[in-house]
Amino acid sequence: MSESGSWLQVRAAGRDLLLSTRELREVVAPSPLAPLPGRLPGIQGVVLHQGEFLPVLAWEDLPGARRPEGPPEALAVLRTRLALPLERLVRTLDDLPGLWEEMEGDDPARAWLGASVQLQGPAARHLNVEGLLELLRRFRSER
Amino acid sequence: MDQSFDDVWAECEDLFGQARETLATLKEPQPAHVVQASVNALFRTTHTLKGMAGMLGYPVFSRAAHRLEDIFDLMRKGRLRSTDSLIETLEAGVLALESGLEGLRRGRPEPEDYLQSVRRQIGELEAMARPTEGQAHDLSTLLDLPPETLKALSDYERTRVTAVLLAGTPIHGLGICLDYSTFDERLRAISEALGTRGELISTLPWDLPPDRDGLAFLLLWAGVTLEPLPVQGGEVLESRQLVDPGQIPVSLRARVPEPAPERLPETPSAPATPAPDAEILRLPAQRVEALEARLMTVGQLRDTASRLLRRFEEAELDAPRALLSEMETGLLDVQKSLLQMRMVKVESLFSRIEPMVKSLSRDLGKPVRLQLHGGELEVERSLLSRLAESFLHLVRNALDHGLELPSERLAQGKSETGTLKLSASQWGRNLRFDLRDDGRGFDLARIQARGRELGLLEAGERPDPERLLRLTLEPGFSTQDEASQISGRGVGMDVVRAEVEALGGEIHLSTEPRRGSLIRLTLPLSRAVVNCLKVRCEGQVFGIPLASVLRVQSGRIPLSGGVRVEVLGRLIPLESLQACLGLREPEAQRTFVVLTQQGGPAGRGSFEVAIGVDQVLDRGDVLLRSLPELAQTPGIMGGSPQEDGVLWVVDPEAVLGLAMDSLMRRVAHV
Repeated sequence: MSESGSWLQVRAAGRDLLLSTRELREVVAPSPLAPLPGRLPGIQGVVLHQGEFLPVLAWEDLPGARRPEGPPEALAVLRTRLALPLERLVRTLDDLPGLWEEMEGDDPARAWLGASVQLQGPAARHLNVEGLLELLRRFRSER
Repeated sequence: MDQSFDDVWAECEDLFGQARETLATLKEPQPAHVVQASVNALFRTTHTLKGMAGMLGYPVFSRAAHRLEDIFDLMRKGRLRSTDSLIETLEAGVLALESGLEGLRRGRPEPEDYLQSVRRQIGELEAMARPTEGQAHDLSTLLDLPPETLKALSDYERTRVTAVLLAGTPIHGLGICLDYSTFDERLRAISEALGTRGELISTLPWDLPPDRDGLAFLLLWAGVTLEPLPVQGGEVLESRQLVDPGQIPVSLRARVPEPAPERLPETPSAPATPAPDAEILRLPAQRVEALEARLMTVGQLRDTASRLLRRFEEAELDAPRALLSEMETGLLDVQKSLLQMRMVKVESLFSRIEPMVKSLSRDLGKPVRLQLHGGELEVERSLLSRLAESFLHLVRNALDHGLELPSERLAQGKSETGTLKLSASQWGRNLRFDLRDDGRGFDLARIQARGRELGLLEAGERPDPERLLRLTLEPGFSTQDEASQISGRGVGMDVVRAEVEALGGEIHLSTEPRRGSLIRLTLPLSRAVVNCLKVRCEGQVFGIPLASVLRVQSGRIPLSGGVRVEVLGRLIPLESLQACLGLREPEAQRTFVVLTQQGGPAGRGSFEVAIGVDQVLDRGDVLLRSLPELAQTPGIMGGSPQEDGVLWVVDPEAVLGLAMDSLMRRVAHV
């Protein structure tokens, strides 16, 4: 994992997460969600974004994630065209060299979370977008 | 890339499309003036392409376009006559330039000579048209006109006068006087009318009689008869034949190429070129997208207003509700128009393939029967444009490697002429392009041996035919020892696969030894207007494409999934839409929609299932948007944003499959 670049610290899935801005397309206000007929694991439904359907992640389906406590404050749109509902936008951070610590132990969330950084307050985990997409694809194939 | 350059590329694409269409019309017998108009249009097209290539910084392309422009110039001056072989050469030349342009767009360097494949033929044409000493004539002096008027004729007009006289066509002079206030409109109308009956060679200023006011012109027109004159009362000053072609010495006529026999249609035909007042607007794709996005915003505002209105029950709000409904219809119409702007018929691709097959068939000595199906299907222009090179490559491969030489075919008991079928069709949410040939098929043993040489197969691996066929899609894979001029350089199939996969599609190959092969490209449909039957299930509205609906029927008693229902005297299985889509199943339903396999004839041999729904609502066009990969849902083709949420459009083919799965599970009590 590269430690350079800018990061967006957010609160989602009951955790503090760090999103690399290189993987972010934009952050937008939430719009009405249309559930898909026959719920797909990992996907809540779709929202209309710039005239196209955009899938919205269902955090609660991911191992080690908690159900969000309330409606999202914003949607983070990844470059890979997946929207992540965010409970809160915390702050943006620049380079975090030397602060990363690999997680040890059997965290059920390790398929989609990477190393952590100890900031003020609780440790924030890097959202591993590739791992997340791989997990969603696995959900689909196992369905 | 700079957006303004995108505009230039798009315009070049349009110009090539027009050139192909115009060349195709020249293959059919046409009146001489229509041929002349077409050649003039082609001359202008190649001239514009030459200029655009120069602007983009491609000098070699510009020179190649200039060479073709010269050929069209020789044709329009009557020094080359339109023959089948000339048109084929020009088609091949235009195709070579078009492929070259596609390469430039993808960042490839300029080749040494874009017209390499037709260099010999073009050289011959240039030599044929080159005048030998003493052969250049100017017969314009035979026109019965004052010398000062003759001096006003341009070089091109003189060559046209000479050419039409040598072709035996009389030339008339029509002197007209037009009113100052309307002369431009009237002159255009009269010129157009003359252009449809023959060739308008020149419009010259003419002496105004002392007793008249206005502007006078002399129209030089070549054709058989001027009657009835396309003029209004008082406009004609004089009308007479200016020269009789019989005056031309026979010996002179024999020294120039004979024109193709003129077959005049029974009724005056429309000119081959678009009407001059048909304005063509060219919009870059980004602007259409911006318009669509803006339209979507308007649609969302309309939805918000509608939601607000629904909070109130007052009867006086019926009028605004009706207005919103009208707005919905209007928005859909605009969306359909915008979508239409992006669409192009598959025919435009076929028109590139046809001449190429003809030319390759001749060069390779392999007679081919080309069958094209589905040319009327409309697909997104960007998709077809990205796939064009891949198709051309596949067709070249099929002719070069797939089809056998006539002697080999005869020895195998096949017809001497090979068959190549190319078809385009829509299957649910996908577009399907099939390329079939009845040639020798893929040599699986050779593919396996080559796969081992290249290390693509592991030692001891026993690959099945499908795995072997997939090897041909690997970069650099070729079973040909030497690259032929046509294909076999091993740089094609992997590019085809990459292009198809980049568009979210798949490529599938199948083969039968000595019977031929099939290459199938399946591509997702991103947007389309679909005529749907709207039904309600589980409180949600779904659209079922009407093309797959055989019948809608209501039973006397409610029925549940797993039973058989009688439809037109036959018993067919019933399954609820809810069961197909994984929704909560209803206890029973009275109404069902009979779905049939698309393209499958109703009746014997077709596959039909009755799909139970809670309620049939109405029918109408919906603008379908496809779902991205992560949201693709079994049985759903895509969705259409509506006032009260998304209307999901079902994929009939997939629903038929899901219904059969569900019925099987019922039988197995799983």
